[in-house]
Amino acid sequence: MAQNPFDRRRINGPEESFLPVFEPGQERPTTWNARCGRQSTDIRQIFLQPGLISQANGSAYIETEKTKLACAVYGPRQSKSTTYSEKGKLNIEVKFAPFSCTRRRYPLHDAEDRSLAVAIHQSIASSVRLELFPKSTIDVFITIIENDGIEGCVASGAIAASTALADAGIEMFGLVTSCSAAVRGDDIRLDPTEEETNTSDGVVVVACMPALSSITNVWQSGRITAEVTLRCMEMCQDRCIDIHSVIAHSLSSMNKAP
Amino acid sequence: MTFLLPGQPVPVRTPTTIGPGVYLKHGQLRASLAGTLADDPNQTPAIHRQRPHPPAPNSLILGTVTRLSPLHAVVAISVVDGIPLPAGEEFMGMIRTQDIRATERDKVKTTDCFRGGDVVKGLVISLGDARSYYITTARNDLGVIFATSEAGATMEPVSWQEMRCPITGRIEKRKCAKPENL
Repeated sequence: MAQNPFDRRRINGPEESFLPVFEPGQERPTTWNARCGRQSTDIRQIFLQPGLISQANGSAYIETEKTKLACAVYGPRQSKSTTYSEKGKLNIEVKFAPFSCTRRRYPLHDAEDRSLAVAIHQSIASSVRLELFPKSTIDVFITIIENDGIEGCVASGAIAASTALADAGIEMFGLVTSCSAAVRGDDIRLDPTEEETNTSDGVVVVACMPALSSITNVWQSGRITAEVTLRCMEMCQDRCIDIHSVIAHSLSSMNKAP
Repeated sequence: MTFLLPGQPVPVRTPTTIGPGVYLKHGQLRASLAGTLADDPNQTPAIHRQRPHPPAPNSLILGTVTRLSPLHAVVAISVVDGIPLPAGEEFMGMIRTQDIRATERDKVKTTDCFRGGDVVKGLVISLGDARSYYITTARNDLGVIFATSEAGATMEPVSWQEMRCPITGRIEKRKCAKPENL
């Protein structure tokens, strides 16, 4: 890498700058635009392919229209930490590709990937039988190739990570599936796009293990009443069962192929 | 053969013992790996999967000696239970002097038993400390299985304590493993 461009003897401007917006912001439309080709309770079609990254122990690629991400699982490998631990460690790292968002992402870690990693870790961690991997670490690397809303990335990331772990042959209690919902007034839309989340009152992401009918993670942001949140969760759980059959199909067809 | 996914109930009537790849929760036997289950109802339910796994007590390992000290030899474990680990993902193991051989443990000198670069067959005795697994070679079939002499040739074992260089004929000291076909 070149020399550190930061020089304390100068007055350093911000790294990137944008033209100020002088026009008054657009009036927020009172209703969402009609969705093309799907109902408000429909999710986008999922393409899921395990085993695409050959050098990883397990991997998965997931694509739901404009959300595309790849997930690779390495390990179990020896833990680098200096303390003895009876349970294994699940290490999740999320990276945005520079071209993944509408504005260029710098190829450095920022706060957003970490919060995404924490959300995905929360969704996945309770499904992995970490007590079987003493002193070991399981590394999960998620690369976001195209981003269409953070909530969609969390949901797709959890699905991809769970599929990749199953592909790697790591013991789990069950497959994790995840679904998001956006709320606006009384209107609930499942699997919202970035535009829909930006104009919503609030968002709910639910991760669950349909095989065990247990929820692993609920993430709610924005202003939503408890009643609507619960309704969102129920709708998401119904969709998670559909997503579970997508994972099941991709894993079983993967198993038949060789 | 039935294909099962993690979390899927295992169709077994009364499980007495549980094999790898399945678990029991709330009285229901479920799969924890994606794979096929043998249909035989008399067998212990298990899903087998060939994948590199970390060493566990009683697993047979192959490794290279990387460092020697008067108290122990450090080994980089590269094969666990016959399954090679991916390159660069070795586990660290340690053979303490008291675990090198079964008799006269107090007279053992690590340098008379191993050299750097030797390939050693060993048995994991415990998970050890944070840094390494504890390994023993205190058995006839355990010890050095491959070593090169100072002249650079592959040596052949002449007794359980010595190896001979085929070029110079010099004898070097090693704790040899008994060859399998003898």
